[in-house]
Amino acid sequence: MSSTMLPSRSKTSVLVFLVPPLLLYGVAVLFPILQSLFLSFFKWDGITDMRFVGFDNYARMFVGDDVFWTAFFNSLGYLVICLVLQLGGALVVASLLISLRRGRELVKTLYLLPAVISTVAIAFLFQRIYSLEPVGLLNQLLEWVGLGGLQQAWLSNVDTVLAAVSIPEGWRFTGLYMLIIYAALLAVPQELEEAARLDGANWWQVFTKIRFPYIRPVWITTTIIAATYALRGFDIPYLLTNGGPGQASELLTTYMYKTAFTHTDYGYASTISVFIVIECLIAVGLIILLLRRKADA
Amino acid sequence: MTTTQTAIAPPPPVTTPVEHERMPRRRRQRLNVHRTLATVVIALIVIVQVYPLAWLFITSVRTEQDFASGNPFALPTEITFDNYARAFETGNLGLNILNSLVVTLGANLLIVLLGMMAAYALQVLGFRFSRVVRALFLIGIIVPVQIALVPLFIDYSSVNLLDTYQSMIIPLAGFALPMSIYLFSSFYEYIPRETYEAASIDGAGPYRIFGQITFPLSVNTIVTIVLVNSIFIWNDFIFANTFVLSDDLKTIPLGLQNYIGAMGNVDWTATFAAVCITITPLLLVFLVLNKAMIYGLESGATKG
Repeated sequence: MSSTMLPSRSKTSVLVFLVPPLLLYGVAVLFPILQSLFLSFFKWDGITDMRFVGFDNYARMFVGDDVFWTAFFNSLGYLVICLVLQLGGALVVASLLISLRRGRELVKTLYLLPAVISTVAIAFLFQRIYSLEPVGLLNQLLEWVGLGGLQQAWLSNVDTVLAAVSIPEGWRFTGLYMLIIYAALLAVPQELEEAARLDGANWWQVFTKIRFPYIRPVWITTTIIAATYALRGFDIPYLLTNGGPGQASELLTTYMYKTAFTHTDYGYASTISVFIVIECLIAVGLIILLLRRKADA
Repeated sequence: MTTTQTAIAPPPPVTTPVEHERMPRRRRQRLNVHRTLATVVIALIVIVQVYPLAWLFITSVRTEQDFASGNPFALPTEITFDNYARAFETGNLGLNILNSLVVTLGANLLIVLLGMMAAYALQVLGFRFSRVVRALFLIGIIVPVQIALVPLFIDYSSVNLLDTYQSMIIPLAGFALPMSIYLFSSFYEYIPRETYEAASIDGAGPYRIFGQITFPLSVNTIVTIVLVNSIFIWNDFIFANTFVLSDDLKTIPLGLQNYIGAMGNVDWTATFAAVCITITPLLLVFLVLNKAMIYGLESGATKG
């Protein structure tokens, strides 16, 4: 990669092209990461003097803070629901789309539409979908199919609220992942599938033995994107319930945000955001490890 | 889309005439059943995806009484545009849209220009530590944006950047930069070395080559990057919500929140009218240019 395409270039020219982007990136991304790491060892409310507290914030987070753990497990629930809807939905629709003879472009466009809408608009929309009074879309639908007994205010019930704030996020981006997987499925060589079918392989065998192994690299990338995006999910839970009722839909991100900007506890908030970064890195590592190992087996 | 698709598409699946002759009739029937089933399932899923959006538009032309009392699935008893009038009265939609435009343009300009420059330095000029720099940029793809909120808030308040356009543009552009660099450099890989050699022999230096060769060739990639990023920037909530306080600078996502009145009372039909006004520009752009956008999204992820 370090080979040059230009016969003549100077060190200055490299710097001229490289320094401006690095400067922006440093100010917006790299330096804040270091700053968060630094702040996570301090107690600071933004007004009085900063006080070095060593690992106190980390100890508080892991041992002394029940809300943190609630938020952590909620985040995992949010992650699972998003992944199932986004990747599961994407794989199903992409597989079905491949077998469609016409209208593929139309389906792709329509399926992607929710990704264009802002999260604030989506939050308004889903408030009305889940609403009980006046009866919202979901509750009306339940009544029509004879499940009127299930009608409830989905966002105020502690048992349903986490799913209720996760589903909009899954709904929003499934189209994006479907496109990626669809493009990968298109590239699976037809001869392979044909040969397998002639040998009597059924649909499931073709899928598990040929299609899926073939798209595995793309699947890994897609899973990584979807997982890291779900772990940083914030807008919709924040807007729909602000973590409530109680802490029933509190995610690490919303908890961090409140700690920072409602309680102005910058040190502890930085500790939580450092944890979110580490969590993302671990997730990426796990995904690569799990999906790769299956490939070797 | 047909152009891009036929380029990658393998021979059409299982329906070539030859295929049919070879296949026993029972299998062909089963295939047809499968295909019908697939069509039905896809139609259902598409309805789930699209109906809520259609419902937004339908609700925005309902009367308030109709909305409060009626069955939410019913078509409006009468169509009214009063909601739109109230939407403009209540909020500051014109200003919100203008602010969103400024932020979207500013961030896109940085993403494209700096993305091209970095990709040019990494891919075309090349230098010793380019792998390290690439790795640095990779961090920005994995790391969640929330990590930057507290530090940027503190930094902004110490240099008086809170509550400015820049306070939104800087992180929006910074976090989008890695993907932009990545897309530009994977495109620059395909510009043949001979093009550059010819230009060099004519005496062009790295700056002229960038301006006269690399930049003009990048136009398609620029369009893709601008389209995809515009969606995310236009809709950004978290940076705007954190760094902007005054009404004068509120972008669309923040402006929409003004419709939640005191004590959480919401004028829903007017709110949905406002939502419709703000999502329509992006929806139209998307529907007209979706080929370029879809192509960009697909290639962005699958080449990785």
